Amino acid sequence: MLLLILKRIVWAIPVLFIVATISFGLMRIVPGGPFDEEKSLPPEIIANIKAKYHLDKPIPEQYIIYMSRLVKGDMGVSYKYVNRTVNDILGDAFPVSLQLGLLGLALAIVIGVPLGTIAAVNRGSKLDFLSMLVATVGISIPGFVTGALLILVFGLWLKLAPVALWESFRHMLLPALTLSLSPAAYLARLTRASVLEVMEKDYVRTARSKGLSSSKTIVKHVLRNALVPVLTVLGPLTAIIITGSFVVEYMYAIPGMGRFFITAVSNRDYDLIMATTLVFAVLLVIANTIVDVLYTVLDPRMQVKG
Amino acid sequence: MSTIEQLSTKRIESGNPIITVWRRLKRIPTAVVAWVIISVMVAMAIASLLGVPLTPYSFDQTSTTLLADPSWQHLMGTDELGRDLFTRVIYGSRLSISIGITTAFVALVIGTIYGATAGYCEGKVDSLLMRGVDIAYSLPDLLVMILVGVLVGRGTQGILFALALVSWMGTARLVRAQFMQLKHEEFIEAARACGQPVFPLICKHFLPNAMGPIIVALTFIVPSAILSESTLSFIGLGLSPPACSWGTLAADGWRSLRTHPHLILFPSLFIFLTVLSFNFLGDGLRDALDPRTRLKK
Repeated sequence: MLLLILKRIVWAIPVLFIVATISFGLMRIVPGGPFDEEKSLPPEIIANIKAKYHLDKPIPEQYIIYMSRLVKGDMGVSYKYVNRTVNDILGDAFPVSLQLGLLGLALAIVIGVPLGTIAAVNRGSKLDFLSMLVATVGISIPGFVTGALLILVFGLWLKLAPVALWESFRHMLLPALTLSLSPAAYLARLTRASVLEVMEKDYVRTARSKGLSSSKTIVKHVLRNALVPVLTVLGPLTAIIITGSFVVEYMYAIPGMGRFFITAVSNRDYDLIMATTLVFAVLLVIANTIVDVLYTVLDPRMQVKG
Repeated sequence: MSTIEQLSTKRIESGNPIITVWRRLKRIPTAVVAWVIISVMVAMAIASLLGVPLTPYSFDQTSTTLLADPSWQHLMGTDELGRDLFTRVIYGSRLSISIGITTAFVALVIGTIYGATAGYCEGKVDSLLMRGVDIAYSLPDLLVMILVGVLVGRGTQGILFALALVSWMGTARLVRAQFMQLKHEEFIEAARACGQPVFPLICKHFLPNAMGPIIVALTFIVPSAILSESTLSFIGLGLSPPACSWGTLAADGWRSLRTHPHLILFPSLFIFLTVLSFNFLGDGLRDALDPRTRLKK
């Protein structure tokens, strides 16, 4: 197990190296730069700024400077938020996004898994149809529409929760709910399929025929096995949450990674774009590693192969 | 089910496969409703493209009633320049729907060629090609699209390029799986034994038999492309005016959510209805094409 985790970490290094290189390359191919403003600056000032950020050097040299700093954990400086280093900005933004993401993920599981289970247990009934209708609506509705509706109804009309900023737990309610709906719908569809499959297994029939009550069979035998494939979608789920956070943080004015990423892209704030991309890549690698470890823990047959 | 019944079902089901699928699809109510909604949307987009005046207003018409609430005169109200929102939504459908369909078409072409190569060659070529897809597939689409957008620009072509880049991988995986399965079928072996060259073999025998799942996958690409485009436009990293898609309309409406919520609600409703319909149609098609449900009804 420890060996597996170590193996994964060793594997992650080249992956992250490639991500860093590609994003560096992308940022340097792009025409225009962070200092192209509407009011053009005198050439001396531009030259000075470029020299300060090493942007006047040849690109291979810039790459070496960037990489050698990155290895030491220094992700550079922001070109737009003057005098703030990227580490500093991400240090503030990351915990916010992590909180939002984890809360959204938790809500998604709390909503999605029971919905899918109910649908599967009552297969073919009206309840099944209704649950899957809700789930299909959930994957069809864009995040900004859910967000706008929640803000309108709960924020502006009923005044139950604040609609912007990130100050107290109450501020987290609407954003987390907005973030959770699409992964919840995804989980519901997946759980339904998985539960349906497990319910046809022999050991479930055995448990039922031995007189175990229907609800106990579902909790003890069906769900336990059906949740294995559900847990293993943590990778794609993380991707959904990251994508969702762009929209949610934009709508609710939350000072998290997603919002900084969006503003950095529109400002061409190179180092900040590269750093956020790298952090997202690290998150995905971690999520996929957890999945691999979970696989071996939950399904001992996998250990023999690995 | 008795043998006779089975035989009689079989007789009904034989014949043109498209008619068969259509007949089965008609038994699924959600799919029928979805089909109707999609037809209406597409018809509306095509009609406006051909210049049929669907509303008494033109796209740039400026009326004196700015930011009017929905009324009989302006079914969806007007925006801050007095433009009729319903007219704008119809105009928006052109761009949104054509982006969705174009993306699906590009995904079909690239995904099929890529997947067919991997599935047909197997071995080292396959594992090399598919490893690339695996890595790219695990990246969040929107993140890739935003980064690509920085490079290629944020016009319609830039968005289409970014969408095409992230959309073909699912199709490639699917085609590969289909090809691998088909490769060991007897009729393929027979065709090969008869000396059928590779290219006609693929076109005549592999592709027609892999078509069902591919069409289902395409049906799911259209809504996800529409969603991605509108989301990108909404956060300001996609299309922007004067381009008019449902996403840019929603982005416009977002700014006046507090005072004039109708400006975001109507474009959102159209996005939602279209995406929902395509998802239901995809679900319906999958059930209609699934051999396991073939003899059930």
